[in-house]
Order: sequence, then C-alpha cells, then structure tokens
Amino acid sequence: MERLGKALGVGLVVFIVYVIFSGSASPYDLITGALVAGATGFLTANLTVDKPIKFLQLQRLAWLLTYAVRYFFIDEVKAHVDVMRRILHPRMPINPGIVKVPYEVQSDYAILTIANSITNTPGTVVVDVDPEGKALYVHWIDVKVTEPDKVREEVSKVFEKFARRIFD
Amino acid sequence: MRLGRYLQAFSLVALAVLLAVALTYKGLGDLPNPAVRDLALWYLYTTLNPEVPNMTVMSPEAVTAIVWDYRGLDTLFETMVFFLAIVGALAIMRGITLNEGGEGLHIERYGLSLITKTATKLLVPLIIGVSASIALHGHLTPGGGFQGGSAAAVAPLLVLVIFSTYYVVFKLRLSELSMISLRTLGLMGIYMTSFATLILGLVIGVNAYIFQNMPKANAFIGLPPALGGSLISGTLFFFNLFEFFAVAAGFTLVFILLSIPEVKAREVLKGEEHGH
Repeated sequence: MERLGKALGVGLVVFIVYVIFSGSASPYDLITGALVAGATGFLTANLTVDKPIKFLQLQRLAWLLTYAVRYFFIDEVKAHVDVMRRILHPRMPINPGIVKVPYEVQSDYAILTIANSITNTPGTVVVDVDPEGKALYVHWIDVKVTEPDKVREEVSKVFEKFARRIFD
Repeated sequence: MRLGRYLQAFSLVALAVLLAVALTYKGLGDLPNPAVRDLALWYLYTTLNPEVPNMTVMSPEAVTAIVWDYRGLDTLFETMVFFLAIVGALAIMRGITLNEGGEGLHIERYGLSLITKTATKLLVPLIIGVSASIALHGHLTPGGGFQGGSAAAVAPLLVLVIFSTYYVVFKLRLSELSMISLRTLGLMGIYMTSFATLILGLVIGVNAYIFQNMPKANAFIGLPPALGGSLISGTLFFFNLFEFFAVAAGFTLVFILLSIPEVKAREVLKGEEHGH
C-alpha cells in the first residue's frame, strides 16, 4: 500500500517529464506516458521516495515554485553580478578558501537542495558533505567570515529556509 | 613552450585549409554520383505516403523506416551481432556472480557522497521515463529502441558507480539472471514481430512474407499503420519496444558483470583451475 503511494508520486513526476520531453500530448503520448510512468514509478518507488504523503501536501509545491522563481531571478542574479564584478575589477578582489557551513534540515532531498543551490550560484561550490556532523564544506570565492554560524548566515540561510519548507 | 603552442595552432589551421582545398579539387576521391540521390528521394517520397500503398511504411521518420523496414533484415542481423557479443561476455564471465555474500556488508557505507546519491535517486526514474519516450517515439521522431535502450542503461550504470555494485545486486535486486531474462524476452519479441505478418497470413490462408510490415502487391495483409488514430507504423512500434528492453537489459547485464570486483572474479577463476 505504501509502495503504491510512492509509485503514484514518482509516476506523476515521470509522466509530466515524459509528456514534456515528447513535445506533444496526443492520445498516443498520454497512453504510453501513463504506462511508462506507472511501470517506472513502481520500479523506482523505494529507491526514490521515503514519505509519499509529502506529495499530497500542496503547500510544499507552492514553496517549491516560490523558491524556483526567487532562486533564479534573485539569488542567481546577485551571485552572477558579484562574481562578474570581481572578474572585471582591475585588482580582482578575491579571498578564496574552504569554510564549514552547518545545516539543520533532516531529509536527504533538503540537504541536496541546499548543496545544489550553493554550487549553482557562482562564487560558492560545495566540495564535501558530512552527514554525521551535519555540515557542508564550501569553497567560497571571498571568505568574509570563518565562524560556521556566521558563514551560514552569509551563504545558505535562504536556501535552508526554503529547503526545509519544501522537503522536511 | 610558447613556440610549441604557435605550431599547434598553425598545424590545426593548415589541416583545415588543406582539407578544404582537397575537398574542392576532389583530392579525396570523386563526390558521390548525383544519381544515387534518387534513392534518398524515393525513401522520402514513400516513407509516409498512403497514395503509394504497396511501397509506404506509414512512418514519418524515414531513418527508422529504413532501419526496421526497408532494410529490416540487415538490422535484425546487426541486433544478433550485438547479442552474440553479450553472449560472449557472459561465456567469459561464467560463474562469476555476486548473488551471495551480501550479508554483513554495510552497503550504505559504499559509494560516493550523500549529495551525489540523493541526486541519483531523483534522476533514475526521469532517465527511464525520457529513454522510454525516445524508444516509443522511434517511428515518429529521431530515436528508437536501440537509442532508448542505451539511454535507459545509464540509470543502472549511475547507480553502479555512485552507490556500488553491492547496492544494485543486493538492495535493488537487479540480478544477472533477471537481466538475462528481460533481454531474452526482448529478443523473443523482436523475432515474434518479424514473423507476425507471416503467421497472420498463414492463419488467414493468404500470401505473406517474413519481416513484412505494410501490405504489398502480392501479399495484401499487414500490421495496422495506426491504432485509434495514432500512428504506430505497424511493426516499427513493436520492434522499437522490444529492442528497448533487449538493449537496456543487455547493457545493464554487461555493466553489472564488469563492475564485479576483481577479487571476487579471481576466486571463481582459481577454483576452476584447481578443478573444483
């Protein structure tokens, strides 16, 4: 029964991706898409999903959409502008180093969201994760502070806030 | 050092210029005779054309029509060559398996970081969905069973590398045997499809051919070009579908075999040398 819930959740995502990738929504695409999504969802249910009930909590989806817009139009733009400024600046003001960034989220997908959000913004790259110590190690183009809690304030606070609401 | 870089750049430019000169003056041999272009025109004219009922394949994707219909027999034997290669790999690796010895292993400690693993968990179903789309639209858009099957095999390959072989065999239970079975089912499907019209003809009692798809002048039966208004192009849909399973399972099988640790393989081979 639980597997069915997981399979339905994964299947829905696969179905949407299948139809978008096929580039058409004719009866042929919808029928084959549903069959493929059902089979794929059933096969990968236990690999991909832990708590299928989260698929039904639509506020998570709302937070996801909000975050997608915010991330691509605010956080990404800010980081790009900052790194561009450093590259074009005659004195190239960089102060690179690796810092420890603690996190408090629980689920793997929330950790992944934070890590990928950090890596995809220019200037910061996650180089390692320590699940027991609940911390990411991040290469930062301009190390302003080294104290872990202050680094978190600078680097990942927003990402973590959204990651918790979407996945935890 | 700097001179070397200039020489590299110069030699690349020189190569491009000389190739262009050679092509212009037919230095690489004569260009293909324009007469053979009629063949291409004929394929494009007939591939989806109900007005030439004995010639058409009823598929807008001329490449798949050529691969699985106009020269379908050729593709069948190509498929056999690929599967003979897998049979060869199986013969060399016979007896080498991970099917036991999984107890006491801390499987979760193997593999890459939590981030990579979590991203892979999310990617695996999407890879399978997209590759199935490549295969099932093979008669409509570029792609097909082989392309889709190869793309699908990326999913188990990712898990093998990122989670470890032990995870694939003991947690996901993708055993070599299940992959061989799936591959055999796919091959059976391909063979059944190539006989489908012939069997239909024998049952009805009319003339039909092996590997026949659409009706021909002296064999007027064939597989349906469309189902419920959606094109399936007769045999093309079924060939792509079964090839998808056969190729995905075949590649996965080889990936599993290749990722078995050498220590395990040596145990089996040594045992054989001592005659156990």
